[in-house]
Amino acid sequence: MPAARVATSVRPDPVRARERTLLLLATPALLVIGVLFVWPLLRLLSMSVADGTLVQFEKAALDVLYVTVLWESIEIGLIVTVICLLLAYPVAMWLVQTSRFGFILGMFFLLLPFWTSVLVRTYAWMVLLGRSGVINRALRDLGWIDAPLPLLHNRLGVLIGIVHVMLPYMVIPIYAALLRIDPDLRRAAEGLGAPAWRAFARITLPLSLPGVFAGCALVFVITLGFFITPALLGGGRVMMISMLIEQQVREFLDWNFAAALATVLLVVTLAVYAMLGRLTGGAGHAGR
Amino acid sequence: MTFRITRRAALGAGLAAALPLPAIAQGAVAKPDRIVVNASGGAMANLFRRTYNAEFEKRHGIRVVDTSPVDFGKLRAMVESGNVEWTVTELGGQDFVRAKQMNLLEPLDLSIIDLSRYPAAVRDSHIFPSSVYSTVMAFRTDVFPNGTHPKGWAEFWDVRRFPGPRSLRNHPVDNLEFALLADGVAMDKIYPIDMDRAFAKLDQLRQHVTVWWTTGAQPAQLLVDREVVLASGWNGRFYDIARRGAPVAVEWQGGCAKQNAFGIPRGARHTHWANQFLQVMTTPQLQAVYATELAYPGLHPDTLNFVEESVKPHLPTTPANLEKQFWLGVDWWTDNGQRAQEAWNRWMLRRG
Repeated sequence: MPAARVATSVRPDPVRARERTLLLLATPALLVIGVLFVWPLLRLLSMSVADGTLVQFEKAALDVLYVTVLWESIEIGLIVTVICLLLAYPVAMWLVQTSRFGFILGMFFLLLPFWTSVLVRTYAWMVLLGRSGVINRALRDLGWIDAPLPLLHNRLGVLIGIVHVMLPYMVIPIYAALLRIDPDLRRAAEGLGAPAWRAFARITLPLSLPGVFAGCALVFVITLGFFITPALLGGGRVMMISMLIEQQVREFLDWNFAAALATVLLVVTLAVYAMLGRLTGGAGHAGR
Repeated sequence: MTFRITRRAALGAGLAAALPLPAIAQGAVAKPDRIVVNASGGAMANLFRRTYNAEFEKRHGIRVVDTSPVDFGKLRAMVESGNVEWTVTELGGQDFVRAKQMNLLEPLDLSIIDLSRYPAAVRDSHIFPSSVYSTVMAFRTDVFPNGTHPKGWAEFWDVRRFPGPRSLRNHPVDNLEFALLADGVAMDKIYPIDMDRAFAKLDQLRQHVTVWWTTGAQPAQLLVDREVVLASGWNGRFYDIARRGAPVAVEWQGGCAKQNAFGIPRGARHTHWANQFLQVMTTPQLQAVYATELAYPGLHPDTLNFVEESVKPHLPTTPANLEKQFWLGVDWWTDNGQRAQEAWNRWMLRRG
């Protein structure tokens, strides 16, 4: 980018032409976003106040049901994000340092789930985690447990299912951030006598924070909208806000209320996103 | 572009001819190259292709394209945007009354669709009664052999005599009715539903229901996996796994019979052919094939005559089964569905 700036002052025309070309090339994507995303979003927002009052929001805010479920959704989103982060960071570090073969193998296993539908994977978890599923049967055969462990049809089952789906979304941004870190920085730190953990804490971790932020944001936002996994693995005991929105849209055709719930979810998501940004952004600056 | 305009004009003319002047319409209606039938998909779509779609194509020389799934929200969006893709659509669950109330359906042309031999209760100006299904109790035959299973919902609730984990649908429909039956309410006194009484009864069973199922495939799978020993579910799903050898059987006592419905979305093109398609669906021989494969019989009174004796005990409309069941109170659910669903969500959310 600085190189481009310098070029601007010397020979402005080709660069401006290049910018124009780039803008032109980006236009289809911008149009798609505008037409297929921004416009419907505005329609949605207007639908939530279609009665001319805020009565739909009043219902969403005052009814214990919706407040509780929204809170539970955020809680699940945060737990999933933390678990994914703890699991993904070591994987990403390993991917950066491993051999070419290890990298290909790791990426293969990481991306493999993307070719399987979420529904199939959810049913697979039911086979594994059930009362007489693979895990419980194995543990019983080993004599470690007498009664089957409650792994499914509760919050634990839902968390396992969602973490499994979301893990690649955390690994890949962190991997990309780690890859950009100049390995000489770490070598320099170690050469100056810093133990490995300090080199990690002072150099690797702060420099990887943009990737961590991107991963956390992706995982949290997508998790909030999860629908089929909690419905199937939660056995009905775990309710997420997207399930209630779906109910209003498809079953009761109460689109104004559904729009209000969706708007609340959007605002909460943006708020948490902003908080995350400030948290990691601040830390990132301190590290530089 | 010109092709499009002329085609639309031709279609418009066809519609105009079909609606007010049935006498001319028969000969004059333009034939489209295809119609679109939207239904549940999966095993049902395969059977539709083999039965109704094939027969319609043979009779009228118009190709039938099938789409899925059934989606009430999409139906509303299509009708309101004036861009109706479906010629005919299935209407899920209890939605058909509301679809009519919300003016999302074209009236049926009963001069084309012959419902004269159908039961009077299911004949309607806008709603085509396609088949019957029932939410019934199913059990593992190895856990409850030789008729030792619960016979009715009072016994389903009796966890001391009939121990083991159970599964019910994560939805108020059926469950409120079953709870009232378990509490001693007579089948003809269920409606209007006393929700407080129903939820109080559900409280008693709550901790023994390990799974509240969401999709129709779940209860069958839960029984096969031994995840539960008793479950509610749609009769065709249990029929399917029992036929493939699973140790699962059905108790019809207290089952909740329901009508499956089809309709023509308002503003659909080719409504004449939509009505012709529904007329094909009244053919008892085809309904019998459908019933034999899925255990969801149509409502033409002759259908049972074309079904093998061995299949009859598995159909909800066999007289011996029908008298053990009650019909879902669609009107009550149309008026109270949203309120009941919110009460249900609240009840589910309570801990314990």
